[in-house]
Amino acid sequence: MLSKFGKNQKNFTTIFLSILTLTALSLLTLYSISNIPISLNSPFTRQSIFILFAFVVFLFVKEFKIKSIHDYSSIIYILSYCLCLIPFLFPKIEYTYRWIDFGFFYIQPSEFLKLTTVLVVAKFLSNHHLEVKESRTIIFPTLITFMSCFIVLQQPDLGTAIIIFAPLIPMLLWSGVNTFTVFLMIAPFITIIAASNLVFFYLWAIIMFIIFLTFEVNLLKKTIIYFANIFVGLLTPIFWNSLAEYQKDRILTFLNPDLDPMGSAYHIIQSITAIGSGGFWGKGWQQGSQTQLKFLPVQESDFILSVIAEEFGFVGILILMIVSFKLIKNLLDVAYKISDYFSSLVIIGFTSIFLSHIFINSAMTIGLLPVKGLPFPFISAGGSFLLLCYLMIGVVTSISKN
Amino acid sequence: MLKIENRADIFHYRTLYSILFLCIFVLIARYFQIQVIDFNKHYSKSEVNRVKPRTTYAPRGLILDRNGKILVENFPTYILTVTPYEMKNQQEQFLKISQIINTPVDELEQRFKKYNRGRFLPTIIAKNLSYEEIVTIEEMRLDFPGFQYERFDERIYNSSSNNDHFLGYLREIDREYLKNLDSEKIYRAGELVGWEGLEKQYESDLRYTKGIEYVEVDTYGREINNLSLENKLAYPGKNLNLTIDSELQDFSKELLGNKPGVIITSNVRTGEILSMVSSPSYDLNIFRGETDSNEWKSIISDDKNPILNRSISGLYPGGSQLKIITALNLLEQKKLNPEDELLCSGSYSPPGSSLVFKCWKEEGHGIVNLFSAIAQSCNVYFYETVQLLNLENWVKTAKDFGFNDLTKIDLPNEKRGLIPDSKFFSNTYGRWGWSERGVLLNMTLGQGDILITPIQALKFINIVALSGKDVPTLKLNKDKSTTYYTDLEISSDSWRVLKNGLYDVVNNNYGTGWRAKVEDSSIQSFGKTSTAENSQGEPHAWYIGYFVQNDEIYSLVVLVENGGGGGAIAAPIAGEIIKKIIYSKNYMVSSDVK
Repeated sequence: MLSKFGKNQKNFTTIFLSILTLTALSLLTLYSISNIPISLNSPFTRQSIFILFAFVVFLFVKEFKIKSIHDYSSIIYILSYCLCLIPFLFPKIEYTYRWIDFGFFYIQPSEFLKLTTVLVVAKFLSNHHLEVKESRTIIFPTLITFMSCFIVLQQPDLGTAIIIFAPLIPMLLWSGVNTFTVFLMIAPFITIIAASNLVFFYLWAIIMFIIFLTFEVNLLKKTIIYFANIFVGLLTPIFWNSLAEYQKDRILTFLNPDLDPMGSAYHIIQSITAIGSGGFWGKGWQQGSQTQLKFLPVQESDFILSVIAEEFGFVGILILMIVSFKLIKNLLDVAYKISDYFSSLVIIGFTSIFLSHIFINSAMTIGLLPVKGLPFPFISAGGSFLLLCYLMIGVVTSISKN
Repeated sequence: MLKIENRADIFHYRTLYSILFLCIFVLIARYFQIQVIDFNKHYSKSEVNRVKPRTTYAPRGLILDRNGKILVENFPTYILTVTPYEMKNQQEQFLKISQIINTPVDELEQRFKKYNRGRFLPTIIAKNLSYEEIVTIEEMRLDFPGFQYERFDERIYNSSSNNDHFLGYLREIDREYLKNLDSEKIYRAGELVGWEGLEKQYESDLRYTKGIEYVEVDTYGREINNLSLENKLAYPGKNLNLTIDSELQDFSKELLGNKPGVIITSNVRTGEILSMVSSPSYDLNIFRGETDSNEWKSIISDDKNPILNRSISGLYPGGSQLKIITALNLLEQKKLNPEDELLCSGSYSPPGSSLVFKCWKEEGHGIVNLFSAIAQSCNVYFYETVQLLNLENWVKTAKDFGFNDLTKIDLPNEKRGLIPDSKFFSNTYGRWGWSERGVLLNMTLGQGDILITPIQALKFINIVALSGKDVPTLKLNKDKSTTYYTDLEISSDSWRVLKNGLYDVVNNNYGTGWRAKVEDSSIQSFGKTSTAENSQGEPHAWYIGYFVQNDEIYSLVVLVENGGGGGAIAAPIAGEIIKKIIYSKNYMVSSDVK
């Protein structure tokens, strides 16, 4: 099978070996935290079933033609978007409209929206490749991405919305959109966030100033945009303070539905204690007292890295990180080497999704980011996301073979 | 291959590569910091000090009668739990513990097996520890890593209501049952849950809300520190105020003595149940703590079935009280004039049949009309007149009065009973195995396949008392808002005729219920006796009735299982209860009539 990949063969060997390693580590860990591993409801058994299923899907998807993926991407996007509307027709499940209930398991349709958004943006950018230098060509991809984010935020699910947004900037960069334009896109958001703290805001104003100096753009344009940003930043606290308390609460809960001032601090402390107590070599498989005490919620998914860190130590984490690095790097290599433009953009999009999942999930367990329910690719338990991972790998494989 | 060539820039490749490298580097660095540099700090914390969430409890709500008298309260006991992961040398430890608390090791191990939910969760292994036992364990704390005692409230039934079925009881949750419980309420195996009666019905109100306390403990399970910031307080459950009057309840119980049967009384205008006795019964205190399995078995296997709440789950033939259904049907369909007379010679033969159906009075009632037929419960009158009706209408009227359906009283496990219809007969006896005329003869006497519960009989008489309009749903919880049964469309003329008949049952010299009469001019009493034949022996004695005093209406149902004649056995009991109600003023003031 591998011989078909031609010049990318080496990359694909590494990619598949990485996935195999991650899967093995995942099953080992899930076995450790399952009370009764061989039973229908244990995370271990469920995940094993999901992996088999996802692998079958992978075998199916890798036979697709890149031409048909390209041609049908808009239709697939619309279908997946409609799928995300279905949960709103039913009562909430666990306080959100994220899932469709299939009895034995839930399906999270927004997972597939991540993939289809990348496809549709890649299609647009590759079809308009000559015009990307013009800033207005970026309007459509941005609009599509925001549309996807919007429906996901209604569920509400900030984590997924972030992931859907993540591929946009790398893909724009990859397609040759002016770096300054991309910077202009992100700048206002950073300004608003920075406005919450005066020191940050000064710092940001200085950084922004330096960046504006280095780029060769019309001076008047630069000045106007710069002060527009400062102005937005200054207005933000005034606007925020003019809101009533309940309105602030609403916005905060909208942005972070998991907001739980009582719970999250405790969970991060427990997670760090578990990770730290693992030390260099770890406490050994099934020996992690902290994780086995079930201090952490969703340790088969959101906090699975705490389990790995406690039981397999820093060595385990190092292996995990190196393997993840290898996986992403080789995907990046394929994207660079591949001769087709659309395919290249698609791989960049998928790579961004993988990397953001890896980074956000890991950073959360070690207290670098607030608690967000995002799984680690190929490691965390969970059917929909696993399926998405195999779908993405399947598409990448099919692309490279053509 | 698509038309467009990839023109990816090496600059962009390097940018993304740097971002990837930076991300992974930051993560590895942070893990290195936590796991390698700060290892000692975290490791000692994990070994010596552990933050443990500890569940805190609050009392379950009390159950009070209508006058605030406590019927069910809590009794604090101590339980012993063990966390398997922390325990060292199980057998030796169990042996030591078993000596301290005087419990066989087998029993400890049995409980341990039954309630164990995983190596890291505390498991209840002993209950009802005395203060001395706790002190001993506390003194030897270092010898028992992983063992812990907790306060644990049990139900106690001090009052004379200790055998009232409707109160229900609590039971330990085992692993099997745990799966069926609402996961949001965070139940735990070994805790108590409302299993029967009101305890089950109002579980969510009565049950306390658990709290969580985060405590730092050392390897021996000793608390080092209470991290008060994250604590969640436990709240007690709500008290349940009943409509029951315990004085009347006790009085009814005495009247019934050890005869199997049921007495229920209610305030008709509010639907409040004032007393509800089901006999025989058993002491609810057997559900406190560990139920002795022998004691339990003897209750379960008792022929008289003391576990059964006969008031709502006992099924009986209704007997003559169902003549009311026939009478109303005849009147509503204008099939006869109530003054129309016919002759009861003591027996009845359907036209063209050689079968003979006897009246309960062998020598016959002579000339009877509708009024005197109700009053004297003349079978022959109803045998003849029921032939003017059809089965479908009769069944519909019976169902309108709530038979074959739940009364929706606030108790679990209520039975529906049975009013057989033509479909039922065809299924049971075959399409040609029954005749409409034949079964109507049975139905009008409330015999045959008809089964009703005493609470349905009470609802029935309440509907009659209020002429089918605005009849409140029966209830035991005083604070439950009043709902109403569906109104009946029956003309006031028909009601007047029927009530004249029911009045005569009690007040006329020839009435079958004359023994229920109370010589008091302030009340007007109505009733109907029934003598329900059954296969188990003597007939069941029934009396259903109501009386009006000033603006208040009270109703009652008396049933003595295999007691004999309704007039002879049930009516005198009814008379005593009526006297009790009118001469003690406690429940004259109903709680929600404004």
